[in-house]
Amino acid sequence: MSAETETSSRVATRTYKPAMPAGWWLRKGHYFWYMVREFTALPLALWLLWLLYEIQRAGRGPSGYYPPSSTPFVVFSVICLLFALYHSITFLRLAGVILHFKVMDKPVPSGLVVASQFGAWLVASIVIGAVLIGFGR
Amino acid sequence: MDFESYDVLVVGGGLAGIRAAIAVVETNPSLKVGMVSKVYPMRSHTVSAEGGAAAVLRPEDSYETHAYDTIKGSDYLADQDVVEAFVREAPIEVIQMEHWGCPWSRDPDGKISVRPFGGMTTWRTCFAADKTGFHMLHTVFQTSLKYPQIHRHDEAFVTKLLVEDGRCVGVVAIDMRSGRFDAITAKAVILATGGMGRVYAFTTNGNICTGDGMALAYRAGVGLKDMEMVQFHPTGLPFTGILITEAVRGEGGYLTNKDGERFLKRYVPNKMELGPRDIISRAMITEFEAGRGFEGPHGKYMHLDVRHLGEAVIDRKLPFMRELGREFVGIDIVHDPIPVRPVMHYMMGGVDANISGATPVSGLYAAGECANVGLNGGNRLGSNSLSECLVFGAATGRAAADYVSSAKAVSANPIEGMLKDETKRIEMDYLEKKSGEERIGAIREDMQLSMDAGAGVFRTREGLENLTKQLGKLRDRFGRIKIEDSSRTFNTELMSVLELDYMLEVAEVITYSALAREESRGAHARRDFPERDDEKFLKHTIAFRTDEISPRLEYRDVRITNFKPQARAY
Amino acid sequence: MAEKRITVRATRFDPAKDSEPRLQSYDIPFSDDSMVVLDALNYIKSHVDGSLSYRWSCRMGICGSCGMTVNGTPKLTCSAFLRDYWPGSITITPLNNFPIVRDLVVDMEDFMEKLKSIKPWIIRKQEMPLGAGEHRQTMEQIDDFRQFSQCINCMLCYAACPVYGLDDKFLGPAAIALARRYNLDSRDQGTKERLPVIAHSDGVWECSFVGECSVVCPKGVDPAKAIQQTKLDTSVRFILPYGNRE
Repeated sequence: MSAETETSSRVATRTYKPAMPAGWWLRKGHYFWYMVREFTALPLALWLLWLLYEIQRAGRGPSGYYPPSSTPFVVFSVICLLFALYHSITFLRLAGVILHFKVMDKPVPSGLVVASQFGAWLVASIVIGAVLIGFGR
Repeated sequence: MDFESYDVLVVGGGLAGIRAAIAVVETNPSLKVGMVSKVYPMRSHTVSAEGGAAAVLRPEDSYETHAYDTIKGSDYLADQDVVEAFVREAPIEVIQMEHWGCPWSRDPDGKISVRPFGGMTTWRTCFAADKTGFHMLHTVFQTSLKYPQIHRHDEAFVTKLLVEDGRCVGVVAIDMRSGRFDAITAKAVILATGGMGRVYAFTTNGNICTGDGMALAYRAGVGLKDMEMVQFHPTGLPFTGILITEAVRGEGGYLTNKDGERFLKRYVPNKMELGPRDIISRAMITEFEAGRGFEGPHGKYMHLDVRHLGEAVIDRKLPFMRELGREFVGIDIVHDPIPVRPVMHYMMGGVDANISGATPVSGLYAAGECANVGLNGGNRLGSNSLSECLVFGAATGRAAADYVSSAKAVSANPIEGMLKDETKRIEMDYLEKKSGEERIGAIREDMQLSMDAGAGVFRTREGLENLTKQLGKLRDRFGRIKIEDSSRTFNTELMSVLELDYMLEVAEVITYSALAREESRGAHARRDFPERDDEKFLKHTIAFRTDEISPRLEYRDVRITNFKPQARAY
Repeated sequence: MAEKRITVRATRFDPAKDSEPRLQSYDIPFSDDSMVVLDALNYIKSHVDGSLSYRWSCRMGICGSCGMTVNGTPKLTCSAFLRDYWPGSITITPLNNFPIVRDLVVDMEDFMEKLKSIKPWIIRKQEMPLGAGEHRQTMEQIDDFRQFSQCINCMLCYAACPVYGLDDKFLGPAAIALARRYNLDSRDQGTKERLPVIAHSDGVWECSFVGECSVVCPKGVDPAKAIQQTKLDTSVRFILPYGNRE
């Protein structure tokens, strides 16, 4: 669990460097939610791979389209949706940190940037939803 | 035996030291500069300076008024030729800092902004919000990283100056990390070790301000000049002593007593809150004694009130003060007055050095707070010290660079013996000391409290004489000191004991110098001699080390050029 | 009234004697509500055990030397109040992710090298002569980088950064924030010179945005923001050829 090093930068004095414990991410809520955020990508990727496969099958016509409707798959899909939402929210919030615009020489407050991101997200969702439903009819 | 060897060695990594190091390599890029500091340079106490740096930058200002303000502020104890040179260099240095990246606060036209400050007749204090020292130190330190000629020894503690044939040729330093004793040689040594506030209990100064350079020079036979001139800043936070910048008053803050009265009208009616520090500190103590101070759990205090300035001005100009209020007092200065009382802040005195920073020992220079080049006299004006660090740091660096171009190389021969002797002294006296029962902390605390009581804002013969006796006893107790830490790795107790040794020496010089100056001038206020006495004391005190606890005092005339001493009224 | 007391545990480690760090417990008086964790350490050093080693100086949150881990969180001990922990006990350990030199003292040479590597000074193609006066700069231009210029190098962000803990080749939060401070300064023209270090795989791209650096920063620097902004800037530079020009 530990490493001892001889540092050469100055005088060789033995220092003690504690190694990061495997459970470091359980030490703080912040670390834990970071790990959750990073982890969400994994099931999401699996679900998307499955979706690609579905689309490929759907290419064979309506007969090829038979999405799985088993309870475990629905539960898995719901979890993936929640993960996707969590990941998206953290990502959109990040925009408030990164993007810095100025309007009339005054910086746009980050809250407004985040709100605009969520707004754009909402609009995009509605448009896509409308398109899908429209085509579905 | 090989030693680290430099052309110029700077002791201290604060504003003056780093400015000096850069000046050396800019004067002659082929010179190799060493910098020894007991802390990483960005920890140096410059970092705590808040209000600003004075320089004549505006067309309506003039060198003459800056010089006059400084000389009047000094109660005519400043050497006037030095002041006149200083005010001409300060603007150049402030611009140089700007070119190096210091984020000076600006006027709407993009030029460096200025604010009013105590004792200054016009606005001339340049500032970076209220973290001026922090920004200047980080700017100059980060800039120094681009010079490969500057080689740093961080966290190395200097225990002795190496003097051979009347010439300073280096230092002995303990590398804190390894505990190794090193002789570091150089053709010239610049002391830039800062102040000595920790000699007092209630001080704005950080833990590292222990008068090291002053004691080192004193032991090497250099005189300490005007050491009785200790500045008490009017506005420190009770308990911690944390500095509340004079800029608070510069920006329009009021000092009020418990009757809600701006009491300074009785003391500095024309200047009010913008009076000089010595007079305002005395006014506050006088008010306390008259029963007009607030009583708090940590002693008497006054109110410093900025509520009328409004949140916008406070956040723009005094954000750090708001932060300090929130963190350390639990108040929001936008809505609450700040409790303050006078606090030891700055040493006008220091290592006797001339206008180029040169001391009487050849090859030894001093700059910044540890030096006395004759700029501040009996009372330093706020915001002159950051400028002093720049101007005299640079001047000293240039002078040392010129000196080493013709100086002889240092011969390693005697150095080896000196290193051996110094190592043995510290090992025998401290590291391997088995006996002793006196705690370092206890002696230090007794010294600090004694100094607060005996050599504070007001002084008397009785109090000072009593103080000399107490310091004598403390010196005896120091001989019976107990050392608990025998480790060679980062032994902070060894550092503390060496610092205490330095501080006791500095305290003695302050006390004896103060006892002998039988007048009141600048920050030195004797209740038994309340008047200034130009006949006898328009002179610098110079203290030399003797084998006794009391120094040998000499006096040197103040150099007067254009400003004849007058009564000092504001 | 019985005197209030508080239990303080501090890491002890002397490389000459100890194979690994251990905790030592001290029971000290908590005599004043204004006392901070640093006061507790100073009490121990002055009155109980002179051999306890730690760094400190200004005790007003600006010199950056007294950073330690207090009950698991990186803190400036000069501004961590005992009253916030009492009657619970306090465990003080060295800053995480750094080699321990002695007791509560860590080795920060690594940062000093990294600081230098980002060239934290004004770089200009043509130096302006001193006689020409100052560069003009508005308060709005200062606002662009002000936040990032507040870094006191206290190392709390490195101690909070698991990325640095797992791989100390990572340039780290403070160094990147300072690089950004200079890149955003209207007087500076050195962005391109800093790019090789900043945009290196050990630079901004090593960061996976945990964000804890900004949480622990005592000066509101928000290094996480500096890093994410730099990621965006370097990406834009890469995509747009003209972005590579100054």
